[in-house]
Amino acid sequence: MNQPPVVDVRSLHVRFGEVEAVAGIDLEAYAGQATALLGRNGAGKSTTMRVLAGVVPPTAGSVTVAGLDIRKDTLAVKQVTGYCPDVGGLVPRATPWEHLQLSARLRRLSGWEDRARDLLERFELGDVMNRVTGGFSHGMGRRLSVVLAAMHEPQVLLLDEPFDGVDPIGVDATFEVIADARARGATILLSTHLRDLAVQACGTALVLRGGSRVAAVDAAEMAGEEGARAYRALLD
Amino acid sequence: MPTALSSTDATPSYLKAARVAAARRALGDVGILFQFRKQAVRRRHLARTLSLVFLAITAAVAVVPAFAPGAAGPDKAFDILLLMPSALAGFLVLTISSAIASGGGRELISGDQAAPYPISPTTDHLGALLLAPLNIAWMVQAWLLLGSMAFSFGPDKLFQAQVVVLLWLVFSTAVGQVVAWTMEAVRRRPGGILLSRGLLVAVGLTAGVVQLTGHTLDLLDRIPTLWVFVGAVSGWGTRWWLDLGFLVVGSLAAVVVGAVPAHLAARRMPRDEARMETDQHEPRPMSRSVLGILVRTDRASVWRSVPMRRGVLVLAVGPGLVAIFGNLPWSSMTILPGLVASGGALLFGVNAWCLDGRGALWRENLPAPAAALFDARAWVLLEFLACASLITVGIGALRAGMPNAQELSALVCTLAVVLMQVVGAAMRWSIKHPYPVDLRSARATPAPPAAMVGYSARLATSTTITSLLFSGAAHVPEWRLSVIIAIPCLTWSTVRLVRARMRWQDPVVRARVVATTAA
Repeated sequence: MNQPPVVDVRSLHVRFGEVEAVAGIDLEAYAGQATALLGRNGAGKSTTMRVLAGVVPPTAGSVTVAGLDIRKDTLAVKQVTGYCPDVGGLVPRATPWEHLQLSARLRRLSGWEDRARDLLERFELGDVMNRVTGGFSHGMGRRLSVVLAAMHEPQVLLLDEPFDGVDPIGVDATFEVIADARARGATILLSTHLRDLAVQACGTALVLRGGSRVAAVDAAEMAGEEGARAYRALLD
Repeated sequence: MPTALSSTDATPSYLKAARVAAARRALGDVGILFQFRKQAVRRRHLARTLSLVFLAITAAVAVVPAFAPGAAGPDKAFDILLLMPSALAGFLVLTISSAIASGGGRELISGDQAAPYPISPTTDHLGALLLAPLNIAWMVQAWLLLGSMAFSFGPDKLFQAQVVVLLWLVFSTAVGQVVAWTMEAVRRRPGGILLSRGLLVAVGLTAGVVQLTGHTLDLLDRIPTLWVFVGAVSGWGTRWWLDLGFLVVGSLAAVVVGAVPAHLAARRMPRDEARMETDQHEPRPMSRSVLGILVRTDRASVWRSVPMRRGVLVLAVGPGLVAIFGNLPWSSMTILPGLVASGGALLFGVNAWCLDGRGALWRENLPAPAAALFDARAWVLLEFLACASLITVGIGALRAGMPNAQELSALVCTLAVVLMQVVGAAMRWSIKHPYPVDLRSARATPAPPAAMVGYSARLATSTTITSLLFSGAAHVPEWRLSVIIAIPCLTWSTVRLVRARMRWQDPVVRARVVATTAA
């Protein structure tokens, strides 16, 4: 790669008390590329995503996002990232539109309304944009989380389990969001347990195990029966 | 050919046996769930110590006042003795209103967590009964009853009297639960919300009419608790045994009967919660400032929540009505803001970051300064508590006439000081001990029951001391005295709030809070 990585993680460690959730992950992701984070439960995927989103500070190691040091420029990192968390991600008593307004105001966006409406329609959430999200189904919540992450066209799009419990229309809409982001040169990190979908959406796949990276391969190598065997071998 | 039982058929013995087995199983499940909750207690040693302290205080208040100077005397003690039947009735009103406000009482395990397990509504009912005393209002009133009985009656036949008082506490709690489940079952029927609100208004209006027409004393003289009281003070006599029998049988009956409306309520959709979850809110214009949009989001999280709306209504109106009926003078009205603010903080303030639920992770990725998030949350809590306290004082003021300068000064200073005290403490605790809580259900509390008792005890102690201080200042003919007392109190509370704000700005601390509340 000639370009410097947009996301550059070196020897990342994250500890919660006695538990080491991430134990020395190295990761590079480039502009216009989608990278899948694969691995078993507890491999450190979501914690890594939380660090990149500026939600959890790293215990050790260096993390830069769009050239910004996550420790020193946390607020600026939040400005250039869009994050779909692995759980929930929605304020239960606010409506989708209120979520979008909050994001737009804090990111100082203008003229965002048309894009927001378009995204809501693409994810089939236009009819419920004024309804509180507390009564949303799991799939609806996931879809809205992707909309919220993508609405401001972030330089780095962090999608943690965006396909979990989502119907085929939502999956297609998420693929579109990823394709659009790649087309405009954004960096995408996608964490999922659904290997087939990760292969379809991403060019590169990183496999994590026990808080460390065990492989970095072309996503295509993870496709089909052969890919499934290779993936399983990396997990064991 | 019909195979179902006709209403005139006797219940077959196998059905009765099944019901008994189900009741036994429900009772066993309460034990299992209680153990489960006990295991989750973080500081077990502290919990054990607090339980022993509770028992020791209860034993002390039930006995020690009987040996105090003036006990069983003709002056103060006799006045209290005359008020005992009303106090017994007051406790029953408290248990009923508290259980109604919390939609049937507290949960041993939340509805969402319980969903995968075969937990019957009977278990839920028994669990709510078990948790009812873990409430500072219940505890304080219970101690007040025991202490008043001991002081007014003296050591002679005290044992018999206190046994009746203790049984009255059990009976009232069980009856409160029956009424609350019934109200909940009614509320969940079509048109039930309207009906239950109508009933509450009717009760309020009736009480108002009784008061305004000057029949309150007549009513209190004929109050049924007089019968219980007479039995309590009659030693080993027949009346005492009748009392005992009535209360034991009545309590057991109430516990059993309470399961019926609990089952009814469980079969129906909780309409209040369902309405809130499907509510539509038309978009409003964008807020002009960052703080403005943060406050707006937090405010929506508070006022669109069923437990907070119900809780604040009970908190704001209840003490105000008591002030009216008790003809509370301005100098004593300083007790109200502390009471209401403490209660309000227990609705969500002691775990303020749980308002975002699982949205906390997404919110934390938004580029907003941490200090602004803290300011917005603290402001929304402050206005919530101030709103409730002002309504209470406003209702109490209806009958109190015009205050003089020192009374007004004392009340304003109390309001300012207790609000800052409570907001400071709540924001501090919210950072120190976050809990993952979904405040969707009317029965939800922002922290586990044992923690709630600790919070409420600490809030009640500090705000009561403050209120009494200003109540004393209201009797001194110098309005500036309250201001002089208020300045150091406000300074200290502000310093503590600022320290909590600084702590919140530490990314490691914030990550822990966010990860916990969103879990």
